[in-house]
Amino acid sequence: MSGAAPAIEVRDLRKDFGRFQAVKGVSFDVAGGEIVGFLGPNGAGKTTTIKMITGLLKITSGTVRVEGLDIREHPAAARRKMGYMSQKFSLYPLLTALENIDFFAGISGLAPGERRRHAARIRQDLPEAVLRQKVQDIPPGIRQKVAMFVCLMPDPGIILLDEPTSGVDPEARRLFWNDIYGLKTQGKTLLVSTHNLDEAEYCDRILILHNGELIAAGEPDELLRRQGKADIEELFKDAIHDHGQN
Amino acid sequence: MKLRHLVKKELIEVVRQKELLFLMLVSPVIQIIVLGYVVSSDIRNVPVGIVNLSGGQAATRVIERVRRSPLFNVRFESARNEDSLDRLKKGEVKTVIVFRDALDRKRGASAYPEVQVLMDGIDANTAMIASGYFSGIIKGYILDDMEKKGRGLPVAARPLFRFNPQLRGINTMGPGIVAFLLTIITLFMTSTSLVREKEQQTLDTLLMSPLGALEIYVGKALPAILVGLVDMLIGLAVVVLWFGIPFRGGVPVLFLAALVYLTAILSYALLISVLSSTAQQAMFFSWFSLIIFLLMSGFFTPVDNIPYPLRLLADVNPMRYLVQIIREIFLKGNGIAYFWKELLAMGAIAVTLVSISLLNFKRFISK
Amino acid sequence: MGRIKAIIRKEFLHILRDPRSLTLVFIIPLIQIFILGYSVSYDLDRVEVALIDLSQGGTSRQLARAFAASPVFQVRSRSADGGALSPAEAEDMLRQGLVREVIVIPAGFDRLAAAGRRAEVGLIIDGSDVNVANLVYQYSERVILDFNAARMGSAGLLKIGTQMHFNPEARSRFFFIPGLVAVILLMISAMLTSLSITRERETGSLSLLFISPLKSVEIIVGKTIPYIFVALLDGAVILLFARFWFGIPFRGALPVLLAFGLLYIVAGLALGILISTVAPTQTTAMLAALLITMLPSFLLSGFIFPLDSLSPVLRAISYVVPATYFLRIIRGVILKGAELRHFLFDGAMLAAYSLLLLAVAIRKFAGQRKAAQ
Repeated sequence: MSGAAPAIEVRDLRKDFGRFQAVKGVSFDVAGGEIVGFLGPNGAGKTTTIKMITGLLKITSGTVRVEGLDIREHPAAARRKMGYMSQKFSLYPLLTALENIDFFAGISGLAPGERRRHAARIRQDLPEAVLRQKVQDIPPGIRQKVAMFVCLMPDPGIILLDEPTSGVDPEARRLFWNDIYGLKTQGKTLLVSTHNLDEAEYCDRILILHNGELIAAGEPDELLRRQGKADIEELFKDAIHDHGQN
Repeated sequence: MKLRHLVKKELIEVVRQKELLFLMLVSPVIQIIVLGYVVSSDIRNVPVGIVNLSGGQAATRVIERVRRSPLFNVRFESARNEDSLDRLKKGEVKTVIVFRDALDRKRGASAYPEVQVLMDGIDANTAMIASGYFSGIIKGYILDDMEKKGRGLPVAARPLFRFNPQLRGINTMGPGIVAFLLTIITLFMTSTSLVREKEQQTLDTLLMSPLGALEIYVGKALPAILVGLVDMLIGLAVVVLWFGIPFRGGVPVLFLAALVYLTAILSYALLISVLSSTAQQAMFFSWFSLIIFLLMSGFFTPVDNIPYPLRLLADVNPMRYLVQIIREIFLKGNGIAYFWKELLAMGAIAVTLVSISLLNFKRFISK
Repeated sequence: MGRIKAIIRKEFLHILRDPRSLTLVFIIPLIQIFILGYSVSYDLDRVEVALIDLSQGGTSRQLARAFAASPVFQVRSRSADGGALSPAEAEDMLRQGLVREVIVIPAGFDRLAAAGRRAEVGLIIDGSDVNVANLVYQYSERVILDFNAARMGSAGLLKIGTQMHFNPEARSRFFFIPGLVAVILLMISAMLTSLSITRERETGSLSLLFISPLKSVEIIVGKTIPYIFVALLDGAVILLFARFWFGIPFRGALPVLLAFGLLYIVAGLALGILISTVAPTQTTAMLAALLITMLPSFLLSGFIFPLDSLSPVLRAISYVVPATYFLRIIRGVILKGAELRHFLFDGAMLAAYSLLLLAVAIRKFAGQRKAAQ
């Protein structure tokens, strides 16, 4: 690892909701330019962890640093380095895709010229007729594409994606991961959460979260080799199982 | 101007919901017109029954006058003693008037009958008005009779109703209904808006953006203020043009008052929005507040007689001041010199609410 | 039947999972009744008036004293500097709302009265609040009437005995509280169901419901039933509160009231579920539920304004407001001790109303379902 600060540094991160401990002391790094997969069943604490990294959720204890900036001390500066896409794609269902894009570009403080350039760019990818439809009437696959586009508009170096492929058909998922590689070649850092285990192979490194604890971390192939498992699914099941025994 | 984008987005969302747009723009017109006719129908047609056990001329004359009066609708007249109470219970009549011959100790039979009025007291207001009106009829008769007979004359009252000479109900209620509709629409539009953003998870994206808490706050309130002012214009147009309510005051002060009021209401709505975790909770909170605001505003019934501890609640009800200011502007043509105290009170309420809700809003955002 | 039970169970769970909303459903009406029971009243026990006596004779002073002696009027006849109140000052007080009425005894008053001619006293009343103006006028007339009777020795001339039945003290609380119970119950019923389908539409779970094997009737009815319990319990709580806290007399039979109350609640819930099938978003659903129930129940049901006074068109409209029927029932049963047979028509109308609304809701829902598949 180089001497520069990691893109994301998480140390002993905890989150309690009343008595319930959602995240129980998680630590990991995400290095610049890597794709890290965040795996775990529903309720494992993935969304909670990601939201704490973005500063949208108050941290109970522990630290998060984004390119060396503590999220609690410098939330605005840290957030400017990050792009975040939440589970439901967070678009306004009553606005058209183009209106959504224009809105988010506007509140990100992009100049009118830049906003027009973005609008022109999305028109190359998606048909005009679709872009002029209300988001609520657009199929999930395209909705996800638009949400991703919105997330990337301010050109963040670090991108956090929370379950970007849930509810999307397999073909669209494959295309999505293609785009993710494209982003990596541009030098972006990505943290992607998913409960689709087969997506782990696309990642440089995976983190497996279960019941609020990090139970395995490493390169997918290396993890398999080390544990002598045939595929991620088996690894995952055994890891959860072993963990349950402790 | 990032704020501009927020306002534009909110307005697009409103326009896209045809049903909501209808509720905001068309339903006020309908509601005001219906209400206008309800309140301009001053009390009349009170169903009465008459039992005339007196054979005298006076009773006959008085009954004649009762029949002619638009306030009463005589349902039955009988010369026998009826079971009046059962008729009251059934709701067939609200008042039964019984005439009997009275004995005058000095001259034997009196020229005037003894009158008994039985009333259904449940609607005490109507009952009082009806009984007052009826004693007016009798007094009028006696007055005329005495004048004819050349006896002395009693002192008579000559009423003059200032600011509303015909005592038209719509003049009192019309301006109030504008205040009410202004409230209901903006309160509901805003109190659910944050909950919606939460449910759509768009709130996260908003918070990740460089927008500050204050910008988001204002961005939520401003569109509702615009909608509120438009609604007020529509409402004013209807009450002035359709019902011919006099507008004697100045438009700028009215807008100033409305603006202060809307600031208070919308900061309150945003407070509800922050405190509610589901749309249903937001709805119940808003509904609760709306009913209290409305019924403690002097809109239907006077606020002067609310007993002490609850009186304080009426004193912090912004709608109360708006209703009073609007009435003063409309009917009395008063300028700011007359209601600066109310305006100031409303302003103080607005400032307090804005501070509380902004504080909560900031805390909510950095959860 | 088993399938409809599943829907009912799910809906019940949903209600119990959001204890905060449930608490609000029970607490809010109680607070409303509590506050409004004390606050909403036409009774005026203190009226500020200004009095200007330009005649300054024996009779005029007597009249002024009669007004001052009345327990209702707070008479002001002096200005701030201690001198007699000038007409301009009085006018200004009226405009500011400091007084509700200016009583003017004109200059020739005593002369006319002594000559046995018609002496008049002017009552200048602030008409900007019509109800208050009417009351103030009535009170003033009564003072003058008593004054005349005493002066002319005509007390025996006019005998009017007044009997207020069912509400001997003519307290408007008796009028308003049962009305509030009716109005609040309708609104809460409509609001309870108004979100049920819209919420599922917004969260996307409606499509799951669409493809389920359940019939549309089962879904709509199943979604309504749990709320009948909630609303009925709510109604009972409110009634008990009105009875024991405010001492509203309960002269009729409770089962009669409960039977009609059930019909009324179902009507409100049916209205809510119909709104829910039509409204695209929760905000719209709530606004619709409120606008449709609130003003009509306030204005066209007899809650505040007597129905007899309405024009024929408005009277016709009042027949489609469910609160009209229940208001008559609740006031009749509670305050007058009226019986079941008095309200057969009202009950039948409520039942017809519920069935009609439910049928329309089911048709709408089935139509959307067909369109979605």
